[in-house]
Amino acid sequence: MSESIRTLLFSVVLCLICGTLLTAASSGLKEIQQKNMTIDQRKNILQSVGLVKTDRQYTGDEINRTFEQKISRLVVDQTGSVIPSSETGGAKSETELPIYLYTNEDKQVEAYVIPIDTRGLWGKIYGYLALKSDGATISGFTIYKHSETPGLGGEIEQNWFQRNFVGKKIIGPEGEFVSIAVAKGKADDSVPKDRRPNYVDGISGATLTGKFLTQGLKEILTSYEGVSVTFRNTKEYCKTNKETPWCRK
Amino acid sequence: MVSKMKIRNTKIYKAFANPVWGNNPISIQMLGICSALAVTVQLKTAIVMSLSMTFVVAFSSMTVSLMRKIIPRNIRILTELAIIATLVILADEFLRAYFYDISKQLSIFVGLIITNCIVMGRAEAFALSNPPHLAFVDGLGNGAGYGGVLVTVAFIRELLGSGKIFGFRVIPESVYAAGYEDMGFMLLAPAAFIIIGLLVWLQKVLAGE
Repeated sequence: MSESIRTLLFSVVLCLICGTLLTAASSGLKEIQQKNMTIDQRKNILQSVGLVKTDRQYTGDEINRTFEQKISRLVVDQTGSVIPSSETGGAKSETELPIYLYTNEDKQVEAYVIPIDTRGLWGKIYGYLALKSDGATISGFTIYKHSETPGLGGEIEQNWFQRNFVGKKIIGPEGEFVSIAVAKGKADDSVPKDRRPNYVDGISGATLTGKFLTQGLKEILTSYEGVSVTFRNTKEYCKTNKETPWCRK
Repeated sequence: MVSKMKIRNTKIYKAFANPVWGNNPISIQMLGICSALAVTVQLKTAIVMSLSMTFVVAFSSMTVSLMRKIIPRNIRILTELAIIATLVILADEFLRAYFYDISKQLSIFVGLIITNCIVMGRAEAFALSNPPHLAFVDGLGNGAGYGGVLVTVAFIRELLGSGKIFGFRVIPESVYAAGYEDMGFMLLAPAAFIIIGLLVWLQKVLAGE
């Protein structure tokens, strides 16, 4: 009897100690962790529009300063009209699409960044896809969080894979929407020449990750297509909507 | 010669050297194979995994050993698991706060470390019946033995599978131009099985069994 009580007591005390330690670490460090994550996300957004180079280290302050100067967050609806921040629900929904605008020194919009959250093989893949202000050309693609297999699907976080996207198109030769897809193996070997602008090189041993990423990008780009169309027709659009941020000169 | 013999006979030396070679966790005890398959596609991930694993097994063995006299026998495995998991998560939380880049690389390994049979195996087989300093050294030895196999396998897989070492191309373009192709099979999990099998064979031959 005394033996069972001792066991019970031991396990209760052990649970309390472990629980306290974990809670203390988790809540005590939360603020710093959150800060790190925000900086990392901002860095990814900057990288997707080419403001941050991959071969250099940046301090958190540098990232924050550049981000606050050049990038602004907007919520738009499916036709590309800006929804005032007071009317947004905060979360992403069918009708509220968050985008990040990259404005250069001359107050010209250079690119817009679409947040990516899509299914991967083992878990969600989070990143950013930046499109130039022509609404068709990819300016950059980054991934900041995923749980794919290291060395296989995990290669999506590598520079060579992400650089692949730069300069590719989300529209076909006729101007129709086709999205961007990950090819099986090298795009040059497996895709007919006229389709190559819409394909990036795949990763050997990670066919499924590529498939999920292709699917996810297509879904997300489809829901943002209205916004992209607006960018593609900017000149005409701006004649009637002078107050939209990317039309203001 | 005499001093060499003395070192070899100390308990600490034995606790370290034994798991590195004669009682290697992977090639002799066949533990931790699952993670050895997953992280040996590239040298870099194999090394990160080996280091984190060494860290965890050394400190968890030490903690279990410190508590070995008060752990009730009937719930000892639960206790070991609670200690290991707590240590790993604590380390992960600290890394995420102060070494964010390293923690990003480790992300997936953290889960793999907790489930690694070697950690539990050493706690159960060694730490429960030995003093803390020996348990710590035994943990280091097991980490080194595990890491040695991982790095060897990763070296072969990365070289033959992608023609690279640490992500740098080592097989020259001219060889590819002459018709050489990377062995895609090396990137898949079964290749690690075959290499580990060959290593076990090699070790048995060298050990003269």
